[in-house]
Amino acid sequence: MGKYVIKRILYIVVVFLILSLLIYLIYNMLPVDKAAAAAKSEIEGNKLLDFNDRYEYWKAKYGLDGNILERYGRWLGIYPYSDGSFNGILQGNLGTSSFYGKPVAEVLAEPMKNTIFINIFATILALGITLPLGIFCAVRRGSKRDVGVQVGTIVGYSLPTFIIAIVFIWLFAVVLGWFPVSGMQTAGSIGWSSWARFWDRMYHFALPLIVMTFCSLGGMTRYVRASMIEALSMDCIRTARAKGLKEKAVIYSHAWRNALIPIVTLVIGWFLGIFSGSLMIENIFALNGIGRVYFDSLTRSDNEVVLALQMFYIIISLFGNLITDIAYGFVDPRVRVNK
Amino acid sequence: MAKNQNDKKGILSTLGRWFRRMFFGASKELDVLEVEKLESPSKLAIKAFFRRKLAVAALIVLLSLFLFVFIGPYFFPMHLTYTDNLQANIAPNFSMLSVPSGLKGNIRDINGCSNFTVGVSNDNTLYMWGYTKDALTKLDYSKFPDIIEEGNVLMASAGFDHIIAITTDGHIVGWGNKNNGQYGAANEADGYISMDRVLSEAGFEKDGDYYKIPDTSKIEQLVCGYQATALVIDGHAYMWGNARNYDNMKTLAEKQSGDIAKVAMTNYRIVVMKDDGSVSGGKANFFFKQSAISSTQGKVESVGDYLKKSNVVDVTATKDSMAFLTDEGEVLIFGTSSYGEDKIVLPEEGKYIKLVGGSQHILGLTDTGKVYAWGYNSDGQTKISGKDADDIFTGSKQSYAVNEDDELTAKAGLRGYLFGTDNKGRDTFTRIVHGGKMTMTIGAVAVIVSSIIAIIIGCLSGYFGGWVDMLLMRITEIFSAIPFLPFAMMLSFIIRNYSIDENTRIFIIMVILGLLSWTGLARMIRAQVLAEREKEFVIAAKAMGVKESRIAFKHILPNIISVILVSMTLDFAGCLLTESSLSYLGFGVQLPQPTWGNMLNGANNSIVIQNYWWQWLFPPIFLSIATISINIIGDTLRDVLDPKSSQEK
Repeated sequence: MGKYVIKRILYIVVVFLILSLLIYLIYNMLPVDKAAAAAKSEIEGNKLLDFNDRYEYWKAKYGLDGNILERYGRWLGIYPYSDGSFNGILQGNLGTSSFYGKPVAEVLAEPMKNTIFINIFATILALGITLPLGIFCAVRRGSKRDVGVQVGTIVGYSLPTFIIAIVFIWLFAVVLGWFPVSGMQTAGSIGWSSWARFWDRMYHFALPLIVMTFCSLGGMTRYVRASMIEALSMDCIRTARAKGLKEKAVIYSHAWRNALIPIVTLVIGWFLGIFSGSLMIENIFALNGIGRVYFDSLTRSDNEVVLALQMFYIIISLFGNLITDIAYGFVDPRVRVNK
Repeated sequence: MAKNQNDKKGILSTLGRWFRRMFFGASKELDVLEVEKLESPSKLAIKAFFRRKLAVAALIVLLSLFLFVFIGPYFFPMHLTYTDNLQANIAPNFSMLSVPSGLKGNIRDINGCSNFTVGVSNDNTLYMWGYTKDALTKLDYSKFPDIIEEGNVLMASAGFDHIIAITTDGHIVGWGNKNNGQYGAANEADGYISMDRVLSEAGFEKDGDYYKIPDTSKIEQLVCGYQATALVIDGHAYMWGNARNYDNMKTLAEKQSGDIAKVAMTNYRIVVMKDDGSVSGGKANFFFKQSAISSTQGKVESVGDYLKKSNVVDVTATKDSMAFLTDEGEVLIFGTSSYGEDKIVLPEEGKYIKLVGGSQHILGLTDTGKVYAWGYNSDGQTKISGKDADDIFTGSKQSYAVNEDDELTAKAGLRGYLFGTDNKGRDTFTRIVHGGKMTMTIGAVAVIVSSIIAIIIGCLSGYFGGWVDMLLMRITEIFSAIPFLPFAMMLSFIIRNYSIDENTRIFIIMVILGLLSWTGLARMIRAQVLAEREKEFVIAAKAMGVKESRIAFKHILPNIISVILVSMTLDFAGCLLTESSLSYLGFGVQLPQPTWGNMLNGANNSIVIQNYWWQWLFPPIFLSIATISINIIGDTLRDVLDPKSSQEK
């Protein structure tokens, strides 16, 4: 097990290097010259300075001199700056946001909290609904209620998030007026008690969470239902029924355990997928999450933030694969993760 | 009980069979070959597919949608850069050409500037038709003020969002939107010209709530422009309204020469025609070094000098351009003419004696009583050409012809919008047709690109195994680790920074979508190939000395084609969704080129959601119908192509 994990992590490192180089190269195609901008603003403040001189200085400072591989190495922290120091991602320096004028890590801290919060919340809600619903449909396969749910889920997974979001905003925020249309908090709530602020925040998160949950219902329910049907048609189920076990025991301990294997893969993959998927929700509802920061930074050409977030998304998806494989071993004793 | 019924049925059907055989002969004799006939799996699958009503319905819907978006654009042409703020945010409605029956027989005047038209009958009654509401402010222009009664309206004119009417008693009444000084008192510090000030300085007095013109016979003309109005009384032109929008309105309003015969207003300029047949824009440089298009001379440099030599008898204006008519019947078009306003149509006989401008088209009336039209023909507004007429009128996109008895003889033009208009005045229906074509094309090309990559990589890797498999699977894993939406956004943003033409950019977006979505299918194909290559027919092919690549693509691939087909169908729906999501975020196809995604760009604010329901409702409906039917078809295909699952059901 340990050997396997180490092997996988080494592999992740290699893939990460390749992908980060690829993304760094692609992003360098953008005509953004940080050093020139810095030199220009400095010269505007002090006319006596020579532009070329300052330009060279800022290039060296930002590590922008040298060829693209050297620059990549500096950004990653495996190649020294001209003064011999290492200062890249590996050293914990994600760069400085040109828009906020703050270190990227600082810019991302608060949005990251929000994103993780809404994602975990949405996952819990979605699992709480889809697992029972999928099992119910599988057990009552072919019944009217099952067919109804099937039609509903096809509709659910055929619609993109933004359409569901717009319809829900119209229904719940505009017509019924239950929830705010967008935003994170009521204006002027800074002075409230922390408890009141928490509820205010939950009130603003409610509609995005409902939309996120609803969007995941379609695909997940179908998946749970399919794997449950597969599990219910196994021989062991027939044996269990023949033994005279209660239907509940047959479904929840015999079939469910078998159905869980593909579901675990899906749930983990889905949970990691919504980190980039919540980009949509955050933009529609103007939530201060990393998806929104990514969107804004991209439109503002705020390179460092975009690159840091890209790396985050990649790491999430690489480790997600690893966690899925390990989890496989836990839920399915037949799978031995040691090859 | 139930058994009894079954027995009864059985007896009945047996009797029926006997009856049939007695009179119509037995059904066709089956020979041995037919009984034993085997049907190919694909034929069985097709039969099974067509037995499912839902799937067949989905297929029909999808095919008609395809026809709609791929043939539709030829029937509903789209002017890509067309915008018309006068037509913005109009709800679905079809009454723009519905002249009220009370007006039809005795028309004195018809005019309109935007989505509604006003008409005055010879018995002094005001009529209004078209989309008479403002969805945002909830104003209803067809709710006339109390002073307007049946039989007391002398003349009326409609602007973009206001109406000015003069009663038979001479009261000047305005209603509609007054936020930009369209009528009543206005804050002149904001750049508006106040109607109340203009009228009181002209010496008119208030009678009750309204200013009154003592002698209505001296009124020569009442005309409304975008948010402005001009009233010509006895050679004096009084103008008020949103002067910020008109660059020469203030100058003209201050200069009162007393010899003005007619005023014409575009959306941002005003021109006056004087009694002596000259025209003026108020400013010295109005015509300076400006060219115009003449019906006889072609392009005329320095239109100001040219017009000094001729005698202008009529002047009119469209949204962007002005038209002058000389006493010799020559027509001059001056100003921007992006919609063909300068493609002047000359009468076959006679000469023009009157011109009337709509918002992008112009009507001309000849002395022989014929009407001709030219300009933008998006909604058939110029299809009135060649009709007999005694007088002509226009709405914004409508043309009306009237005979000697003031009866309406012909009308043509925009009836309304099936799905309303967007915030730039573009017809949502047309954009849905064209956007659908774009969305479907992008989805299809992306799926084809991704399937080709997946087939090549999956087949090679599954068939050859070893280091090839190892290498290709590592590449697949790298690609599958790329987070789709953020990465596609980044690539799209980067190509946006290069000045590539729009079609290339769209093509690159298709390729990007394809390049990022092949990994799942490739893995699936690899697994299938791994299973297939151990089968006997592959060994047989190898024994016969068939080339490896031929075995992979000719022997194994056909056996897994059903998996590929199902996956391609479902991926097509996925690509439609990703394209529309990207475009919705503004990182896909750029406006003004429509797609079903970017038509919703900007729809997620409460103003649009609350007031302009048609703008966010219709594009998603089409997108949803497309993806839902594709998914139903894909699911059914999977069921019928998989022998195991079809046995189960």
